[in-house]
Formats: sequence, C-alpha cells, structure tokens
Amino acid sequence: MFHLKKYSIIAIGMLLILSLFLSACSSEGSSGGKSSSDEILVGVLLPVTGNNATDGKDMLNAMKMAAEKINNNGGVLGKKLKLEVTDDACDPQTATTAANKLVSMKVTAVVGGYCSGSTLPASGVFNNANIPMIVAAANSSELPAQGYESLFLINGLVPDQAKTGADYFKDKGAKNIVIIHDNSAYAKNLADFAQKSVEENGGKVIGFEAINPEEKDFGSLMTKLKSLNPDGTYFTGYYAAGGLMLKQFKEKGVSGFFMVGDGSYSPDIIEIAGADSADGLLVTATPTANFIPGADEFVKEYKSKYNNLSPGPFSALSYNGMNLLADALKRANSTSSEDLKKALKETKGFQGIGQVIEFNDQNSLNQSNFHVMKVVNGEFTLEK
Amino acid sequence: MEIILQILIDGLVIGAFYSLVALGYTMVYGIIKLLNFAHGDLYMMGAFIGFTFLSIFTGDGGVNTGLLGVGIVFIGTMVIVGLIGMGVERIAYRPLLLAPRLSILITAIGVSLSLEYTSMIGWGASYKVYPIKLPNDGLQILGTQISFAQIGMILLSALLMLGLRLFIDKTIYGKAMRAIALDQSACSLMGVNVHKIIALTFFIGASLAAGAGIMSGVYYGTINFMMGFIIGLKAFTAAVLGGIGNITGAMLGGLVLGILEAFGTFYLGGSWKDVLAFGILILFLVFKPTGILGAKEMERM
Repeated sequence: MFHLKKYSIIAIGMLLILSLFLSACSSEGSSGGKSSSDEILVGVLLPVTGNNATDGKDMLNAMKMAAEKINNNGGVLGKKLKLEVTDDACDPQTATTAANKLVSMKVTAVVGGYCSGSTLPASGVFNNANIPMIVAAANSSELPAQGYESLFLINGLVPDQAKTGADYFKDKGAKNIVIIHDNSAYAKNLADFAQKSVEENGGKVIGFEAINPEEKDFGSLMTKLKSLNPDGTYFTGYYAAGGLMLKQFKEKGVSGFFMVGDGSYSPDIIEIAGADSADGLLVTATPTANFIPGADEFVKEYKSKYNNLSPGPFSALSYNGMNLLADALKRANSTSSEDLKKALKETKGFQGIGQVIEFNDQNSLNQSNFHVMKVVNGEFTLEK
Repeated sequence: MEIILQILIDGLVIGAFYSLVALGYTMVYGIIKLLNFAHGDLYMMGAFIGFTFLSIFTGDGGVNTGLLGVGIVFIGTMVIVGLIGMGVERIAYRPLLLAPRLSILITAIGVSLSLEYTSMIGWGASYKVYPIKLPNDGLQILGTQISFAQIGMILLSALLMLGLRLFIDKTIYGKAMRAIALDQSACSLMGVNVHKIIALTFFIGASLAAGAGIMSGVYYGTINFMMGFIIGLKAFTAAVLGGIGNITGAMLGGLVLGILEAFGTFYLGGSWKDVLAFGILILFLVFKPTGILGAKEMERM
C-alpha cells in the first residue's frame, strides 16, 4: 500500500510539472501571436458548425473578404487585421467558452453574433472584459436592453421590423390589419410589436391569431379572415406554414395585402405557395445583398471569390461590420478599448452596403435597415 | 349562415383525410386489438413514395402529367405502401401476437420512429414541395367557396370508404375479417388462415393511409418526414370518437372531428385546434369509451 501511494504521489507530481510546462508553452504561443506589433487581432464569433452553419459560413466569407480588402489597401494604423475565428454553434454554452477563449487571446474587438440566444451570454463576457463587439446578425431586442456600452448592433431589431411592416400598410392606406403568429418566441415577439406599431399608426388590429407551426390546413382560419375583410394580413412565423397559408389565402379570396416577416424570407415560400399565389407577397426583411442597389459589385466580388456562391442573408451586414470596425480603428487612431468604443459610438453616416450606420442611445441602429420586398413574377424585388 | 356552411365544407375536407387514416387504425384494432401507432407514418410513406414517382415520371415540371399518369402513380403507391404495411406486420407484430398487449404497443412506437427517421435519411429533413399542383378554381354555392380540388378530395375519399364497406360486407375475405374480430381461435379451428387475413387487413389499412398521404401532398403541396405523427394521433382520436373497431364509426369520427376543429379554429383561434381535438378524446374516453357508434358488446368491423 505504502509503495503504491508513493508511486502515485510521484506520478501526480510529474503530471503537474508536465501540465505546467504545457500551459507555459501554450500561453507563450498565444501571447506571441498578440505581441507581434504589425497585426491587430480581431475575434470572430459565428456558428460554423451545427444547424446554422450555412449562414455562419456565408458571414465568415464576407468578413474574410472585407479584411483581405482592408489589408490589401495597407491595413489599419499601419497594421494588418488578423481574424481569429471561433465557433459558437448557436449554443449559449459553446458561445461562452468561445468568448472566453477570445478574451484570453486579448483580441482588440469582436465581430459576429448570429443567434440571439448565444450572442446574449457572449456579449456579457466581452463586456466584462471591456472588449467592443459589433453584432452583425442577432437582433433580439434583449441585446441592447442589457445596456452594455461595449456592444454595438448593426442589424435592425424586432421592433424596427414591426414598424417597417406597419408603416407600409399605413402608406398604402391599409387600416384594418390581421396579425398571425405561430407561437414561437420570435414570431410572438414580432407579432406583439406589430400590433403596437399598427395601433400607433392609427390603424386597427381586427384579428390577432395564433397557429401551430406544423399546421397544414388553414381553411377555417381563412374563412374567418374573409369574414373580417382585412386590408392587410401580417404573418410573423416561418416559411413552411407561411407558404401554405398564402396559398389558401388566395384560394379563399381573402381581401387585402399578405405580408410575412423575415422568418418566411426564403425562395421556398414562393415554391410552396406556387408562383401564381405568391405574386404580390410582401416581406419585411433585412438587406440581402442581391437586392440592394449599389451592392452589385459586392455580389460580383463575392461570387468570383467563393465558387460562384450567392452571398447569404447576412453577408452584406457582416461585410459592413468588418469595414465599420476598420473605420472606427482609424478614427480612434488607437487600439485601446476606450478609444475604440468612443469612435464606434460617434460613428456618423457610415455608408455600408444597403444601410447607413449611426447608433442611438442603446448602441443599436438609429435608422432601421429593414426593407419591404415584393414578389413579382416569382422573384423577390425591392419594394421600399 | 354562409359562414357556417363554409366552415362545414372546410371541416369536411380535413375530416375526409382523418377518416381515411382512421380506417386503418380501427381495422387493425378491430382484428387484433392493437393500436398501431405506426399507422400515421404509413400515411407519410405514401406521401413520399407518391412524391418520388411523380417527380420521376413528370420530371419535376408536373403540368403535363395526364390524369391517367396520376391515377397510375396513386394506385401504384397504394400497393407499395400496402406491402410495406404487410412487411411491418410480418416483422414487428406477428412474432408478438401472443405476447402481452403492452409489448406489441411499444413495438408499434418503435416501428413508427424507424419509419420516420428512415425516410428522413432517405428524403432529407426539409420540406418537399409536391411536383403537381391543383388549380385554384371552383364553384360558388350559396355564397360559399368550394374548389374543384376540395370536391375531388371529398369524393375520392368517399369512394375509397364505400369500396371498403362493400369489401367487408360482401366478400368472403370481409366475412373472414369480421369472424376473426369475433373469435380468433375459433376461426383457425374452422380452417380460416388467420395470419393471411391479418396481413390482408394491414395491406388495406396501409394502402388507404397511403392514398390519404398522396391526396394530402397534392392538396396542400408540402410534405415532410414528421407529417404522419400528428395526423396519426388525430386519426386515433377520430377512431375512438366513432367507436374504435367500428368501420362506419371511423368514417363518422373523422368527419365529426374535422368539422369540430374547423368550428374551433373559427371561434376560438387556430392554436386551440389541437387542444379541442384531444380534449374531446379525453372526454370520450372518460364518459363514453365506446364512442358514438360503439355499444358495449357488438360485432366489430
């Protein structure tokens, strides 16, 4: 017994020494990356694995493209941008670990954030470490509500989207509105804000309905809508139900506009509803590069760089985010957190693709970047 | 008035699907006292196999498929899914026919999950859009709107149900089914091939579900691998509502459930639809477990 104990003490001792040695090595490695004076380390937090990997990779491509362009033009403050990519897999726990990793690597700033659920905890980690973060896609209204002064959101928020839809109805003289959601947190949130916006605009919400996301038959719901005789209907859920609803909306001959939120912003909704039924469908959505005037060059460059791949829904925003960071670094003329935060806060009229970036008190967009898209001949076109 | 008529028609369409699927439930229960929870997934298989055939034959365009082509695909799919149903019975249920009812019920759930995730691997997890679409035009009757597609769906399911009723009442196989439902061991003593008749029951039940699956695919336009789950539960509810084991009861139960749901959606809102359906199931199980048409002891089928 005694011998065994002695040996185990020796073994543990050796393990301790070994681990110390290893950790010394690795910390030297990362500080070595940081200390090289001709690079600025930028953290990127995106879901590059998991269900949302497609969008995450599209965003990463756009960020890489922006960084490369900046570096080719001489970099920022005489240094090159170096991207450090971490995966959050749209999972809060993974995101926290990834954020801590970026903090330990002493990144100058972070660009990223796709899922609101994982961006929320990550933004807390960055705020505690006083590292500025530019959120490119996540848009829950809970993000700015945290009141972090290191957090900047360049995507429109749910209330902005609701307002965009309500304003469109108002412009077209549509007063009596029906709102339908599918009981998911996102759709319910958007529906509630839409109701508020419609009423603020002097309209009336004559129906506020909930459906099950798996529902296929909206026959009796459409009969009800028809009897309400609405000027506009706004569905805030996802495309699978949205497409079927639109088709049955047209079959029943319900009056007024049919509008969907960005959860239904997918070519699939046109295919499900059929091109005939989809004609005239309105969508409130953030800018997809394909439809933004002046983004042709971006789309062309993106396609030539990434095997003729179309830029995904948040690529333009990610591209803008990286460029905004470079711009702010230049204006701050320093890489210190305080200077950078101040420069970001003072951003005035930064012209990105499809949006002008200026921040309000909550560090979210002063002017929403939501647009209304319209389906014409089976294609999405920019309506407003 | 117009609105009530319109809701009745909306409900009738949903009810027609429920009835067709409920028939398979009720037949299997009637003959071997098994709640075949995999039945909704045979409906899903029907939708997907029909989808595959139509995609192959029509080259995804779909507009130029004649009525004949669609008919062939329809019948072909019903036969294939019928065979799958027989296969399921042979592999998963027959070895357990003499085991406690609980074992075979759990196997049914296993079969259901296997079918769902096999088709997820085969066809993918995302929504598929059916290659043929029905025209939107229809008739105006008494201020209500009814499309030709709706009329077609209701007629087709009525035709299938009528055919089944005749088969059970008039043929020797139908007679054998009714006899097995009464007393299985006496039947085998009388020289009836019990296994063969049970297999035949599964074939008919599965092919009716497959027919409903294709009809739903064509009518609604989208299918996905989980589509069988909720309709399976609804069909089960319909079967209980009508008196489980009773064929006419299943047809009636499906229609009643569809119409109740349509009224529920209209007056209470869409999210109450399932609450209403399963609330009714609970009420019936508590207060009248034999269903609308079921008596305490009666000849099933």
